[in-house]
Amino acid sequence: MTVSSQVKETVATLKGIESTLKIYAVQTVDQEIKSVFSRVGGVIDGVVNDLEERVGVLEYEEPQYKGL
Amino acid sequence: MPEWLTVFLRGAGLWLFILAAVRVMGKKHPSRMRPFDFVNYTVVGVVAALTASRVMALVPGVILLGVWILSPIILDLLMMKSKWVHDFVSGKETVLIRQGKIMEENLAQVRLTGEDLLRELRSKSVFKTADVEFAVLEPTGEINILLKSDQKPVTAQDLGQKTAPRNEPQTVILDGNIIDEALSNLGLNREWLGTKLEAAGVSLNNVFIGQVDAVGDLFLDLFDDSLEVPAPKIKELIYANLEKCHADLMGFSLQTKNQQAKDIFNKDAKKLLEVKEQLKPYLLK
Repeated sequence: MTVSSQVKETVATLKGIESTLKIYAVQTVDQEIKSVFSRVGGVIDGVVNDLEERVGVLEYEEPQYKGL
Repeated sequence: MPEWLTVFLRGAGLWLFILAAVRVMGKKHPSRMRPFDFVNYTVVGVVAALTASRVMALVPGVILLGVWILSPIILDLLMMKSKWVHDFVSGKETVLIRQGKIMEENLAQVRLTGEDLLRELRSKSVFKTADVEFAVLEPTGEINILLKSDQKPVTAQDLGQKTAPRNEPQTVILDGNIIDEALSNLGLNREWLGTKLEAAGVSLNNVFIGQVDAVGDLFLDLFDDSLEVPAPKIKELIYANLEKCHADLMGFSLQTKNQQAKDIFNKDAKKLLEVKEQLKPYLLK
């Protein structure tokens, strides 16, 4: 398993977490839970962006592993 | 009119009347009643019985009942308005233990013996009087106690731990029937419930109780107990996945030799750690 595919896997997991949190934030009627979950969702989004950038760099550096 | 018919009508009429009257007189629990409330209820009951069995004539009986039913209601209203009336009618509470010391003269004043006090404390699972900081005899005859601060059960606040607000779960399915009011309280509808049930692989008429928690997870109890419905573990799963992602990021930062990438991975790992700590009270109960 190449480094870029490992990072991609983490990105996928984080995206899954983020979307579940978003669903919870929409479903709940409690304002506190709503605000905490959406704020945290934003933070995770930032991490996802960083990682995706890194995947881009890795694939540029080692194009032979691109898509793996 | 034949005699049996009059007796029947009187009995049935008074029964309905008393049923309505007791509902109007309030929701106080019998064991929480003041001694006078007890006298009041007894009088109402006895007068009703006497009138029904024709020992008392119908008109005076009903008037007497009216007086004894209306007076406590008026008295309750007066007590809400005036502290003086309240103290006069229900009496004040008596302090029995203050700052860990038993007040013997107060005990004598309310005619309680030491044994009585010990029994009452034991019924509150207190076997050592030294554990009690403060105890008070309520006008209803109940004794309430405040334990010394080192004897109190530990609360989340004592541990300095943040807890998520716990909203009451809404019961959306009862006996195989959907309760629309509870669903709309949560801003959900029947289609949502249908999707959830389908995901759990359960048909509606097999569900005895279905409850939805604050964030919209559905918990089911089925008629068919041989079927095992897994309780939703999504929140626990999210937490575990967050932990995994945090560990992954730490690993990436160790593997890479690029200092800039190392920094980014470290920063992101720290962010995820914070997220994990923030979500912990909400995801793990």
